[in-house]
Amino acid sequence: MKLHNAHKTCWNCPAAILKGNVDFRACGQSLEAIRRRIEREGLLIECARLPDLGHFEPTITFEECPEWRPTKYGYLLENMRVMILGIDGYLGWTLALKLGALGCEVSGVDCFLRRKMVRELGTDSVVPIYPMEERLKAAKEVLDIDIKFREINILDREKLGQFMREVQPEAIVHYGEIPSAPYSMIDCNHAIQVQYNNVIGTLGLLFLMKEICPESSLIKLGTLGEYGAPLTGRPLFEGLFPADAVLRWRGREWSLGGELTPRDPVSFYHVSKVQDTFNIYEACKYWWLRSYDVMQGVIYGVHTDEVAADPRLRTRLDVDEWFGTVVNRFVAQAILGMPLTVYGEGEQIRGFIALEDAMECMVRLISSPPEPGQYDVVNQVSGLHKVSELAETVARVAAEFGYDVKIQRVENPRVEADYHPFEVVSTKLPNELGFTPKVPLEVEIRRMFELLTQPHIVERIRKVAHLIRPRTWWSGEKKVVETLEVYRPGTRRRRGFKPRLITDRERFPVSKVEEVERAVEAIGGGEGGDGNKG
Amino acid sequence: MSGNIYIGIAYLSIRKGGLGRGAIIGLDGVPHGLVEDLAHRGVMPNFRELLDEGVLKPMRSSIPAVSAVSWSSMMTGANPGVHGVYGYTEFLPGTYVVAYHSSRWLRAPPLWRRDPSRRYVIINLPATYPAGEVNGVLISGFVAPDLERAVYPRELLGELRELNYKVDVDYVRASSSPLLLFKELAETLKTRVEVCRRLVERLKWDVLIFVVTGTDRLEHFLWDAYRDEGHEWHGEFLEYFRHVDEAIGEVVNLLGEDDALMIISDHGMEHLEVDVNLNRLLEDWGYLKLENEPKRSYNAIRHGTKAFALDPSRIYLNRVGHYPRGSVEKGDEERLLGELTELLQDLRWRGRRVIRRVYRREELYHGDAVDKAPDLVLVPEEGFNLRAGLFREEAFEEGELSGKHTEWDALLYVRGVERDALPESPSIEDVLPLFQRLMEGEPS
Repeated sequence: MKLHNAHKTCWNCPAAILKGNVDFRACGQSLEAIRRRIEREGLLIECARLPDLGHFEPTITFEECPEWRPTKYGYLLENMRVMILGIDGYLGWTLALKLGALGCEVSGVDCFLRRKMVRELGTDSVVPIYPMEERLKAAKEVLDIDIKFREINILDREKLGQFMREVQPEAIVHYGEIPSAPYSMIDCNHAIQVQYNNVIGTLGLLFLMKEICPESSLIKLGTLGEYGAPLTGRPLFEGLFPADAVLRWRGREWSLGGELTPRDPVSFYHVSKVQDTFNIYEACKYWWLRSYDVMQGVIYGVHTDEVAADPRLRTRLDVDEWFGTVVNRFVAQAILGMPLTVYGEGEQIRGFIALEDAMECMVRLISSPPEPGQYDVVNQVSGLHKVSELAETVARVAAEFGYDVKIQRVENPRVEADYHPFEVVSTKLPNELGFTPKVPLEVEIRRMFELLTQPHIVERIRKVAHLIRPRTWWSGEKKVVETLEVYRPGTRRRRGFKPRLITDRERFPVSKVEEVERAVEAIGGGEGGDGNKG
Repeated sequence: MSGNIYIGIAYLSIRKGGLGRGAIIGLDGVPHGLVEDLAHRGVMPNFRELLDEGVLKPMRSSIPAVSAVSWSSMMTGANPGVHGVYGYTEFLPGTYVVAYHSSRWLRAPPLWRRDPSRRYVIINLPATYPAGEVNGVLISGFVAPDLERAVYPRELLGELRELNYKVDVDYVRASSSPLLLFKELAETLKTRVEVCRRLVERLKWDVLIFVVTGTDRLEHFLWDAYRDEGHEWHGEFLEYFRHVDEAIGEVVNLLGEDDALMIISDHGMEHLEVDVNLNRLLEDWGYLKLENEPKRSYNAIRHGTKAFALDPSRIYLNRVGHYPRGSVEKGDEERLLGELTELLQDLRWRGRRVIRRVYRREELYHGDAVDKAPDLVLVPEEGFNLRAGLFREEAFEEGELSGKHTEWDALLYVRGVERDALPESPSIEDVLPLFQRLMEGEPS
């Protein structure tokens, strides 16, 4: 059994220098033309890591290449240079530690915008986080990880470019965006701030990548919310229509295969993500950049082995109405004995993923770069849930910890359907990238209770408790939402649509996953990425 | 080679007392017959004049007749068995990954390393990329994917970029329209001559090597335009050779009368009638087994493969221990080579013989690098263009290009010598010793 990316070749590898050897960026040849040329005439590349090989065809597989080492997440470039934009954030910091533990050379930038924004809103991370200097020191002391950090606002292209030139990243993870729908809906200034930071920041990054590191892959955080929740119930494909999708109209038919699927963003923040999608899509087309646009479900949780290794290594956790995601908010409310606030009917369905699983997905994506010019999209979710059901689950786990929790329905300040069908296709991560979710919802919620019930954290939650209940209306009004109903968990009749997650996992059954893991152990791969291929 | 002994007294008496400077003008892929023809037709008047001052002869190229091999032989004076270059491609050791030629492959010292006391100006010499250190200037010729590493010393790079110096014509543009091809050819040549002029006037030099490669490109694309006077591009074809002749004139004018001068080509050219896909044949005959998908180069070679071909006409046994899925044991080698030789010799297309000769490696090559040599090397009959042709569906296909290399009629011109001063049947391996003697002006 081979690792998921064993068959990928130099063509996918960021160490393969194409610029100067394949002059396609200048002449705008089509991807198909290049593929034909590879097959028929051969194509030259050089290896930035093994320059003595001279020029050769990009056909060495990751399995064969001595630079790609087996790990439990697939082959990974030895000491792979990964740059994280937004490294101080909830995901950025967590991923930095995970990649560092895998032997990557991690670098990152952040301008601490998130720390400033929450301060301005009068809130804060309920899990204490340390200044970057101390974080870096702790990473070195506890995990022996060196992280190259620079305080840079990604809108400062000159500084960001200088750092990129210095690091020459082989993958760039872009978490450097303002990640909040309600924040973008506060008022005009906030909407502009979100869109300017996100859209212009990403656009500038694309230009810098073209100039400095066109071979590196961009792993860009989008959101499942880009698609919206179409009332027709049509499946939410992974960004692009599959080959057999057809548009039928007045007796005629057209293939939709390969076209971008419709986007229906649900806030000005989501609009910024959609605009990013188009900018990245075009950059891949014009300049042969390569990217995974990650349509991530709503994230929750606090745990990875690395962040749990020391209090100084913990990642932030927000529970306020702007930056707190729903599960994280529920757990905080439960701990304070507050009813869990469900917006509207609570029948809204969303995709979700635990922090630890999301980090594994990101590592797998970094390990498996797209082809030059390829814009690819993955729907990064491990489960679909109704908001009201999540409240029930949190309440159930809360009871295990001795909390008697009620659920309250409140006015929905957002413009969204209370009832809607929801069918999400997420086949690439399980089938092409070897990902199987490891963290059941309840398990992560238990971990959250274990951490958040520590007295000093309870105290911090108490300080921001008044900011959990929403007051930011999509209409522009500023008023605290009214309660519509309060009920005990398990007493409300289930209504609405049943979500459907299509993973095609039968193509990659669990037994196969275990087989892969055994194979990795057999060839000596592990967390450290220091396995020997022999 | 035995040709060295023909460098005779007649020449030496003329060159006696020379200044020890010399120039080689290379015309890539230009057959002896074409130059003779165009010189006499008035298309190449400068060359016509040179014919009166020296001797022009056909020269045997390398086998296979590809520039990487033949220029390596010319610049080292050595057989491929010594210099180790058998084609533009080799596999990376222990893999089926095709690597392209690098100057690092060369196992024998080229002229500028054999005699580093002289100062060199070398412009557009094929098979020298990446450009290594030289006493003087070296601008590599094709294949040179990156101009930056094609230039020694690097300080020259800015000037070349300002002049829009190109190593080669832009294939993509050239193949999209003959008009663009001629435009590319003219611009490339003009810049090349300008660079030559600047360097020669500016630098102190002892050896100038100046190579034109547009000739080979044009002939590949439009050989028929040369042969057929009614061809729509016939006039443009001749016009380009007029430019080449002017370039020769300009370079010669940069030399002193006593400077040695050779004009050479690395192989000849003829009409390409049909492409012959050797790997298709090997697959049809059961010697090559390929995975159907993915069609990813030679990595598709399966266990059980006995032989495969690399461009242009090299056949290798898939030896156990040499290759990842090697399937030929030592004891089977002789039988397999015998079978393949017989099949290839009997190969017919529309009743015509395809292969003129099947060489065993030991018939062609000698030296320390013979272990890397192909097991069989084929020389085709006229009109047949041998190529590896991996994943091609047909063994014989209508030629994609118009001209193809030949092994027997490269050109050798030497100024200031008598006919009998040159070898009877010179080979490209004679070029270096001949040039060195010309430079010395004395028997060595």
